[in-house]
Amino acid sequence: MAEDDSVRSLSCPACGGTIALRAAGYTVTLACEYCGTLIDATDPAVRIITRYNEMQASLAIPLGTRGTLRGIEWEAIGWMERSDGWATWEETLLFNPYEGYRWLIAQNGQWSLGTMLTAAPQRDGPDQIVGGRRFTPFYGGNTARVTRVAGEFYWRVKPGEEVRASDYVRPGFMLSLEQDDREQGWTISELLTGREIRAAFDVDPPPFWIPGMTPLAHQPSPYARRIKDWWPIAALSFVALLVLLALFGRTMQPQMFSLSVTPDGPTVSQTFGPIALPLGKQAMTVEALTPSVEQGWVDIDVSFVNRKTQDSYDAYALNEHYSGQDSDGYWSEGARSQTLKIASLPAGTYDMVVDVQAHHWGSSGNWAFDSSSRTYKAEGQPPIEVNLTVARGARFTSNFWLAVLMILVPPLLMLVLHIMFENARLAQKDGSPADADDWLRGMESP
Amino acid sequence: MQSVACPTCGADVIFRSAALPVRVCDYCRTLVVRYNQGAQGQITENGGEAAILPFDVSPIQIGTEGRCFDQNFQIIGRVRWAWDDGAWNEWLMLLADGSHAWLGEAMGQFMALREVVLTGSLAQVIRRLMNDRPVKPGESGNIDGQSYEVADVRTVRCIGCEGELPFTAPAGWETLSVDFRNRDGRCASFQKDRHGPTLYVGHHVTLAALQPRNLRPLPGWSVPAYG
Repeated sequence: MAEDDSVRSLSCPACGGTIALRAAGYTVTLACEYCGTLIDATDPAVRIITRYNEMQASLAIPLGTRGTLRGIEWEAIGWMERSDGWATWEETLLFNPYEGYRWLIAQNGQWSLGTMLTAAPQRDGPDQIVGGRRFTPFYGGNTARVTRVAGEFYWRVKPGEEVRASDYVRPGFMLSLEQDDREQGWTISELLTGREIRAAFDVDPPPFWIPGMTPLAHQPSPYARRIKDWWPIAALSFVALLVLLALFGRTMQPQMFSLSVTPDGPTVSQTFGPIALPLGKQAMTVEALTPSVEQGWVDIDVSFVNRKTQDSYDAYALNEHYSGQDSDGYWSEGARSQTLKIASLPAGTYDMVVDVQAHHWGSSGNWAFDSSSRTYKAEGQPPIEVNLTVARGARFTSNFWLAVLMILVPPLLMLVLHIMFENARLAQKDGSPADADDWLRGMESP
Repeated sequence: MQSVACPTCGADVIFRSAALPVRVCDYCRTLVVRYNQGAQGQITENGGEAAILPFDVSPIQIGTEGRCFDQNFQIIGRVRWAWDDGAWNEWLMLLADGSHAWLGEAMGQFMALREVVLTGSLAQVIRRLMNDRPVKPGESGNIDGQSYEVADVRTVRCIGCEGELPFTAPAGWETLSVDFRNRDGRCASFQKDRHGPTLYVGHHVTLAALQPRNLRPLPGWSVPAYG
């Protein structure tokens, strides 16, 4: 026994393998890491408690591995696999002579750091309170059974050992009560981030939850945080959208043009210009107003023709207005004004070519047969004034709502995923079914 | 501080405490008991032999200093107890006011305990323990104005000791040990052997909270810098 080392080594009385005793004085049971034989570490003669001869599992954290978690160096000295009949998990016992023991609990690829409590929690109805933090019941009255062990422990552990376990949760934390006929003990385990556990013991990072996976009882929904994180982004996006709308959705430099057309007369064709578009990909708004159209309609074809390329961008408006008197009194219908929007005009100098034709409809006025078109046409109707206001830019309301929808899609999608996560998590709950309180607590941050 | 000669091997045996009657000889492991005989001064007696302490990796050692019960303390002795399923250390703290207290060390956790007098109105659970009637974990009772729960009940035996002690602790000495704890981290310990019952009350402490100095260096581990 070399006094210059904290680790004693001894040979397994069953298989002869060299095994280490790392917590001398505390360790009671030592499970040979090669053959699984249980050895009584309190007996100087190193007595066999139970002989096994099985291949030991290859451990994610081999015994003797050191790692620093939250500033404290720990050595993995014991490992056990436990099961409650439904779930199986692994617990690694960590030891530092100046800090005592901790547990690393691995389940579904997630790692939690367990600390034994020296004070019992405060009971409040069904809940338990530790240091001002409330834990709600989750698993109740399960039997946790040790299935395999390796390394050293401060109690007489053996495969088949059973304890009654009850678990209470809050996001990111689990409070566990384990009791047998002789003792009861409380442990708080805290879910470790992938970065923490990886930095400490170089294990695979925990998988990101996707639908279909079983979350841990104390695993915080990864989407709850994302939804919360999204709100500032959404608000910012919304403000940005309003700013963009104000900047680019504004109509600028309106130009007014007018012409007149005789109802049932010839098509009036006129070219206005130049209309300069200095910036690329701009929208144009043309407001076509026919204030005097009555009992008739006006077809207005507008084409913006690029002077250089002769490319043409067309829009069409129909202004109409009818009115009369019937048994219900005065009626009118139709619109004397239309707003035309043309999206994405390339930069350049344009002419606006307008073709306007007006028609009269109704019994008033004079009618004459037109031999060329072989139809009756109104005569003597006053000409209709057509006012065209052309401005750069346009406000497309549908685009605005589309953008709002786009802003809302990610949080809504995450809300759906959050609900799926919580549903899968709370489906495992024992006792009373999950209530609104459980759902609300699921939104809380760790 | 007082120095006497070991009645067995003659080596110097130094008592740091003025009051404690027992000191394990560092050389021959004799339990040296001193009696104050007035004008005749100290006489010593061989109180038996202490067993060799098995190797452990406790961070405490004789000479470790720190603060507990709002006083400075120095570790001057230790008794190691064992039961069927384990063992633990009881370190003896000599407090600055000359009194002593115990620092229990089990499963990497620490309890600071001071003896209280077993008089007055005692909880029913304590009275039953004093009368050798069975008590189960989970039972509760009031000790010193606080509500406690029985954490465990064991028959333990002394497997070794060192330094100065308030009693002789021969190897194989058996006692009933009952641990109590409460919600606030307070704890209590009841012990009863053939000499009678004793009760200790205190609280759980962390090593850091003791602001310890002169901890035992353990090869392969760095001693944390506390305080």
